[in-house]
Amino acid sequence: MKEKLEEIKVKGLKKIENAKTIAELEEVRKELTGKKSELSGILKSMKSFSPEEKKTIGMQTTEIKKSFENKLQLKEEEIIASMSVLEEPIDLTLPGKKVNGGALHPITQMKYDLNDAFLSLGFEVYNEDDISSEKYAFDNLNFAKNHPARQSMDTYWLEGTEDKEGAERLCLRPHLTGGSVRYLLKHGAPARFVYPGEVYRNETTDARHERAFFQYEALIVDKDISFSSGMVMIQTILEKVFGRKIKTRMREGFFPFTEPGYEIDMECLVCGGKGCKVCNHNGWIEVMPGGVIHPNVLKSAGLDPEEWTGFYINIGLDRLVMMRYGVDDVRLFHSGDLRFLKQFK
Amino acid sequence: MKVSLNLIRKYVDLPEDLTDEQIAYDMTLRTVEVEKVENTAQKFHDIVVGKILEIKEHPNADKLRICMVDVGEAEPIQIVCGGSNLYVGEYVVVSKIGAEVVWHGQGEPVKIAKTKMRGEISYGMICASSEVYLSDFFPNEGESEIVDLKGFDCKPGDSVADLFGMNDTVLEIDNKSLSNRPDLWGHYGIARELSAIYDAPLKELPQYDIPKVPAYNVEIKDTTKCNRYIAVEIDGIDVRKSPIWMQSVLSKTGQRPINAIVDITNYVMYAVGQPLHAFDKTHVSGEKIIVRNAKENEELLLLDNNSIKLTPDDLVICDESDAMGLAGIRGGKKDSILPDTKGIVLEVANFSADAIRKTGKRFAEKTDAAIRYEKGIDTQRVKEGADLALRLIKEIFPDSKIIKYTDVYPNETKKNKIKVSEEFLDTRLGKKISQEKIEQILTALGYEISLNNGVYDVVVPTWRSTGDVTIKDDVMGDIARILSFDSFEAKPITITFEHSIKQNDVLLERRIKEYLAERCGFYEIYTYPWIEEKYIYAAGINMDKSLKLATPPAPDLAYLRSSLIPGMLEAISKNLRYYDTFRLFDYEEVFEKGDYRPSSEDEILPIQKNYLTGCIVGKEAKEIFYEAKGVIENMARYCHMEDIKLEKIERPNWADIHAYLNITKNNEIIGSLGLVSVKVMTDSKIKRTNVAMFEINADKLIPYASRTNTYERLPELPLVEKDLSIIVDEEVTWKAIEESIESKVKEIEFVDEYRGNQIPDGKKSITLKVRILNEGTTMTSEQINEKMNSILKVLDKKCGAKLREE
Repeated sequence: MKEKLEEIKVKGLKKIENAKTIAELEEVRKELTGKKSELSGILKSMKSFSPEEKKTIGMQTTEIKKSFENKLQLKEEEIIASMSVLEEPIDLTLPGKKVNGGALHPITQMKYDLNDAFLSLGFEVYNEDDISSEKYAFDNLNFAKNHPARQSMDTYWLEGTEDKEGAERLCLRPHLTGGSVRYLLKHGAPARFVYPGEVYRNETTDARHERAFFQYEALIVDKDISFSSGMVMIQTILEKVFGRKIKTRMREGFFPFTEPGYEIDMECLVCGGKGCKVCNHNGWIEVMPGGVIHPNVLKSAGLDPEEWTGFYINIGLDRLVMMRYGVDDVRLFHSGDLRFLKQFK
Repeated sequence: MKVSLNLIRKYVDLPEDLTDEQIAYDMTLRTVEVEKVENTAQKFHDIVVGKILEIKEHPNADKLRICMVDVGEAEPIQIVCGGSNLYVGEYVVVSKIGAEVVWHGQGEPVKIAKTKMRGEISYGMICASSEVYLSDFFPNEGESEIVDLKGFDCKPGDSVADLFGMNDTVLEIDNKSLSNRPDLWGHYGIARELSAIYDAPLKELPQYDIPKVPAYNVEIKDTTKCNRYIAVEIDGIDVRKSPIWMQSVLSKTGQRPINAIVDITNYVMYAVGQPLHAFDKTHVSGEKIIVRNAKENEELLLLDNNSIKLTPDDLVICDESDAMGLAGIRGGKKDSILPDTKGIVLEVANFSADAIRKTGKRFAEKTDAAIRYEKGIDTQRVKEGADLALRLIKEIFPDSKIIKYTDVYPNETKKNKIKVSEEFLDTRLGKKISQEKIEQILTALGYEISLNNGVYDVVVPTWRSTGDVTIKDDVMGDIARILSFDSFEAKPITITFEHSIKQNDVLLERRIKEYLAERCGFYEIYTYPWIEEKYIYAAGINMDKSLKLATPPAPDLAYLRSSLIPGMLEAISKNLRYYDTFRLFDYEEVFEKGDYRPSSEDEILPIQKNYLTGCIVGKEAKEIFYEAKGVIENMARYCHMEDIKLEKIERPNWADIHAYLNITKNNEIIGSLGLVSVKVMTDSKIKRTNVAMFEINADKLIPYASRTNTYERLPELPLVEKDLSIIVDEEVTWKAIEESIESKVKEIEFVDEYRGNQIPDGKKSITLKVRILNEGTTMTSEQINEKMNSILKVLDKKCGAKLREE
């Protein structure tokens, strides 16, 4: 009997070892440890044995059962570890499924980046409407009565109003600055706000010039602030946009609505300031005009220039986006061309 | 404007250790942007004076000669040349090997190399003026003639650049950036700026002692337009050429030399910014100059025998019989200097900026004089211009003689007086600038200044008093820029925290755009506000309320958009060339006639609204319709705004007769959604595809102040989920099905709609999923069956639905 049991054990363990799948293993498990297994048969037939035999055989069968169970456990783990969810290996070089996202226009992306930066500096966002009047686009901003920008060669006047004057002469706004007075009239001072938007000029278009383009203007009005604070703001903004410190310089510039006015240039990112075609070989790119708000503009906004001062900066969004991505034709921004737009996720 | 640094150096001693680039940079930062720095000598390298020693026939060519030329080197060099005016002993311009010349005056410069010409070696080139950048100096050179330097004081080997005053640097300044600075339209003004920047003394302009002579008869009829008029009659003049140094200055500053008199007037204008004019004295009939407004229909005869019509707004310079020139703008035929001119009347005058601008506007091309007058020149400069011109005339025409002289001076430019407190300067500049420094800067710029009790009394120089400097901020600006804006320490901006910035409408716009782009797969586009008419017609837009541009970019682009649909149609039709399925959206303002006063009562603007339009382009009309519907249905939830509804009320003109819905909010239609009609697609050349479109007045969308939904407790017991396939008549809508069993189920969901083999005609199969729940207890299978049966019963009763047999 002892030998028989020993044989059952050896055979059984071998069967377990030979099982390839979980299903096979389950078959083997049934065969070896189930009610109809050889071991069960032996245990059932034990009645006829002596107590001494019962004890030794009983111990032996229990031991065999245990070793079966151990082995089954190990084998099951082994099989699971080697199993795949796939029936067949797959071609790992096939492309993954496309993520079906669209995208914001690169101009909008830049606008939101700037909004985030300005919001952190405590600025509000203001939206002026696209159609304005000569009063708000020019008169309020200290443009001389005969300033050439007031002519229809420069500004898009609305039909039927082009020969009128002031508040009655309507135009697609030629710049954003008119919005500053609208905001100040409504909210008063102190104020700090940005007003992004699209502006329109009657000009001939080419890769660098557009009739409709995007600007982003910011204005702070407060007491006793110095224009040099503008520099900090600009550096902060550029760092935010380009992700690193950008070299800038501030130089003389003239705008009717500022005194003094200045131009802010940034180092050309295409050539790193060495001079290239993009920067007209001087290493600098004009990005932001700005300046101290002219007393006459403050007066238009109902503020006392003796008490209040402030400064503008105006960012050419198109130019900045062009710099960011190396875009070489400004007209693409209004093209609605998906071959272009799909590049900006 | 082009600025010659050599001429600048006549007026100010610039520090010697400065490079030209540094000067340009310093000027850019402090005065005006220098766009280009050009070393004018550079292109003359290896171009020297040569003397022809010997001329031989060329054995293989009729028109070529072989010349031995002394170029100042040990041995003469052999040059093959086709010039028609070669002679032994001639001084010529030689481009040696390595020089860069422009062949026949055309194209890019070419480098000279040793070449064989028909078998004979040539070690350089004897050049025509246009080949070596000298055509300004030799305007009458005939074809195939080379430059003959007869009369020049030169010897072989001399640098041609030196000979023609080309060892210079020319700074190029964009005229636009000078428009607010009438004082900078001449070299002397630029020199003054540099004298302030470098603290280097500015030299005074030469004066001229006018001899005691009788007065020239000048009458100014309109003294509001003519502020000063100096007339000088001079004899002993002819049309000789001006000296090379003067021609050189003119050539470098972009003005072609003509004859000495014309050159002097131009030179003085470039030097001090004062325009001048010279009349042939014999052309002035009656020996009298009258400055008056033109008469109605008066004409001015031009040099080319054309004439221009004048209006009473135009100021003209006349003699006793008729108009000779348009004041401050251009001369006529009568005033021209001709080969037989022996005497002139020189006009140095000041005309008011407004008058010149008004008249000048009628002529496309602005003359140098008009550009300067328009900016507003001080009357004092008239005398400076006259003195300099008379001095030059005496120098070039030593035998000339002033016969008559008049200075009629009705209006003098007054110096502006401004008070500027130290305190104002300190706060606005953000730092204390010493009195000494302030005085030094302002004095160098021509201001007179004195400090009394903390307040500077500032007297503005006349050349800045014609509108440029009027308030203390202007004075502060002058100080800041000469110190250089870059030199001020950047001061941090302080933030006082008063309230958080929460602009819900601004945030909503962003949420909507991000929802469309990031969740729904749309690409954002921007379109022009002016819309091509064919797309407006295609979209069936009513143009009664549309606005038009007075001077549109093109004749068919005059209308401003009142809807974003036409622009979207255009974008779709263009993109179809490259893609067949895509999604676009546009969020911009649209315009219509109306009464809108955003800022003040006096300003009535058209109505301007923010619109949002989007499209889904694809082949399967039904599919894209429901996709677009899903985008709108889910917008409110994802964008955190008040609910919008979809109802079929009225068809927008662009939509298909069957597939459209209106977007409503509080029972007001705020937009539409639908498939684009076949007609609209045909008219806008959209082929072989379908378009689902929506348009919403985004101003009507109301953002929530925050995220607003309340959390729902998770159910303790699992929902029982059952799919049902039912067969109903075609006319039965999903809405009817949904409403019929709403009260019986926890959730209901549309799964599928099917028509086909097993479904009888006029019927459709709908598969839906319902989720049911018994409050408080787990449902037994009997309870579930009972509930499902009751649901089916209701569906049958209300919708005539039968369970679809599998």
